Amino acid sequence: MRLAIMSFAHVHAEGYIHNLRAIPDVQVIGFADDDRERGHHFADLYGLDFFDSYADLIAERPDGVIICSENAHHLPLVQMAAEAGVHVLSEKPLATTLEDAQAILDVCARAGVHLMTAFPMRFSAPILEVYRLITTGQLGHIIGANTTNQGKLPRYHTAYPRAWFEDKTLAGGGAVIDHTVHLSDLLRWFLRSEVVEVFADVNDILYGDAGVSVETGGLVMLTFDNGTFASIDCSWSKPPNYPTWGGLTMELVGQNGLVTVDPFKQVIPVYRREAGGGAWAYWGSDSNQGMIDEFAAAIREDRAPSVTGYDGYKAVEIALAVYRSVETGQPVRLAP
Amino acid sequence: MFRVGLVGAGFMGGFHAAGWAHTPATLAAIFAADYDQMHALCRRTGAQPVDSLDALLDAVDVVDICTPTHLHHGMALKAAAAGKHVICEKPLARTPEQAAEMIAACRAAGVTLLPAHVVRFFPQYALAKQTVDEGAVGRVAVVRLSRVSSGPAWAADSWFTDFEKSGGMMLDLMLHDFDYARWVAGEVESVFAKSAGARNPGERQDYGLAILRHTNGALSNIEGGWAYPPPMFRTALEIAGDGGLIEGPAEGAIPLGVYLRQTGEGGDAITGVPSSPLAEDPYTTQIKHFYDVIANNAAPRVTAEDGLAALRIAFAAMESARTGRPIPIEEVQ
Repeated sequence: MRLAIMSFAHVHAEGYIHNLRAIPDVQVIGFADDDRERGHHFADLYGLDFFDSYADLIAERPDGVIICSENAHHLPLVQMAAEAGVHVLSEKPLATTLEDAQAILDVCARAGVHLMTAFPMRFSAPILEVYRLITTGQLGHIIGANTTNQGKLPRYHTAYPRAWFEDKTLAGGGAVIDHTVHLSDLLRWFLRSEVVEVFADVNDILYGDAGVSVETGGLVMLTFDNGTFASIDCSWSKPPNYPTWGGLTMELVGQNGLVTVDPFKQVIPVYRREAGGGAWAYWGSDSNQGMIDEFAAAIREDRAPSVTGYDGYKAVEIALAVYRSVETGQPVRLAP
Repeated sequence: MFRVGLVGAGFMGGFHAAGWAHTPATLAAIFAADYDQMHALCRRTGAQPVDSLDALLDAVDVVDICTPTHLHHGMALKAAAAGKHVICEKPLARTPEQAAEMIAACRAAGVTLLPAHVVRFFPQYALAKQTVDEGAVGRVAVVRLSRVSSGPAWAADSWFTDFEKSGGMMLDLMLHDFDYARWVAGEVESVFAKSAGARNPGERQDYGLAILRHTNGALSNIEGGWAYPPPMFRTALEIAGDGGLIEGPAEGAIPLGVYLRQTGEGGDAITGVPSSPLAEDPYTTQIKHFYDVIANNAAPRVTAEDGLAALRIAFAAMESARTGRPIPIEEVQ
């Protein structure tokens, strides 16, 4: 199987290289990037073939591509791949507008290619255990959930500069578009229910003095069709010297009890002699590997991936409803 | 002379009585509806049992009200009319209107009114507040507070679970963190909240989440509940600012873990609760502070106006959960 990466704009592309190389029947044919400097940097760093253009890469007829461009640029890349009959795994959020997200679904459906959204948390071992507990009914009906997906300001979370994460035009927003989608997706998956109401409030107190123009702090309240309500803290509230990039936590209160999950806490703290040298070294399973394995398996078996483009679409719809709620100060209703 | 009269000899009355023993004040009298509890606490403390609030008022200088919430208002008004200083368990009253009346009555009578918001005296919460005030986290942006326990089984007659008496979980339990959020992040402008019954969604609203918007733009996520399986009880605190972050409790910290094997009919079972022993109970720290405020004119760490403000946030949260709308605090009178 021949796979390729379109753009290294997203920091996750760096991890995916290792994941792709770990699959025995996968050949990484290389990548393209519209930022030539970035392209050469990562071609050298990872020993990858760097194609002059996306068109040249697609002309190589890969079986599938992973799209790691800036969020706003997903649609043209998906289009190019799909129309050439290439299966697509797109970084999250699938798009920055609902029109783009719909167009991505449509072009893939028309071309008959499989479309997967990069929601790696669905492949996290502790999260899978929560899924099992909930879907086998052991917690009973889930009353409410208190969840967080917090991180450092993106510029502190990557060695290579990726300023676009803080650019509304390219990213679609700030902390909200970056950090609500994983949790809204996990909750939809756990609950087998759709979001019917979104309320949110955001602020720009964190790094407001550092030239960041998008929202950096946010609290979201989702209500699902089955009655469950869940708050999401999507803030970029971990300081630059925090011992890890951030994290994702969930506390789910069910009729029969409580489950808490903190999958990125599978770490050993490591303290170095240098100033500010405390860091958490992660030893948990690599959920990205499970996700990339699933993408390869879907291509190999010519079937829909377990996480679909529609899942990506729904997460975009919820994130955009967050912004509408912020604008109006009122809850926003969504069709289930 | 500083003679204290305790009203109520239940769970909280016991804590307050123990606190007064660490002050120069004399716990002179106790009045409680439960005769056995009153006499037991009197034997322990040397206080006189009395058979009415009037008898108590005749015998003391300060009244410490530890009765169910719905009784605070009437008792405080009587105490104020008798010219006695008033200490009152949180919530200050069953409704904001009642609390406002209590404040007005105590002011008119020239007596002090102090609500017992003990969380402000828990050392980790007090230290976090001090750390914020020292500027260590800069401007506060996002606050996260949680407080969830199993149902309040300790109240013998279950007045906690009687909405008319306690005001429910948000008023009794989340109030602690509404007050604390306002203490560290400033006045609250509006509240959006959801609640449901933990066992049956339509029944007693004993699990809730609230998003507070503070006037300065800060946001708070408050979780509260009587929703966990016993003996589970968790609190959490996080304060993120533009200059840093406070996380509590420290990850993985169990200062003391006691896990005992119990052999019995159900076979082996291990029960255990982590704890964090202190040289001085926070309730005692609180009572000593109240003594200082009344006897020595110390500046109160928490005022009756703070107690009223916390009540208004709780009422806004309940109204939001009921109506589905964000509720501006100014709508709560």
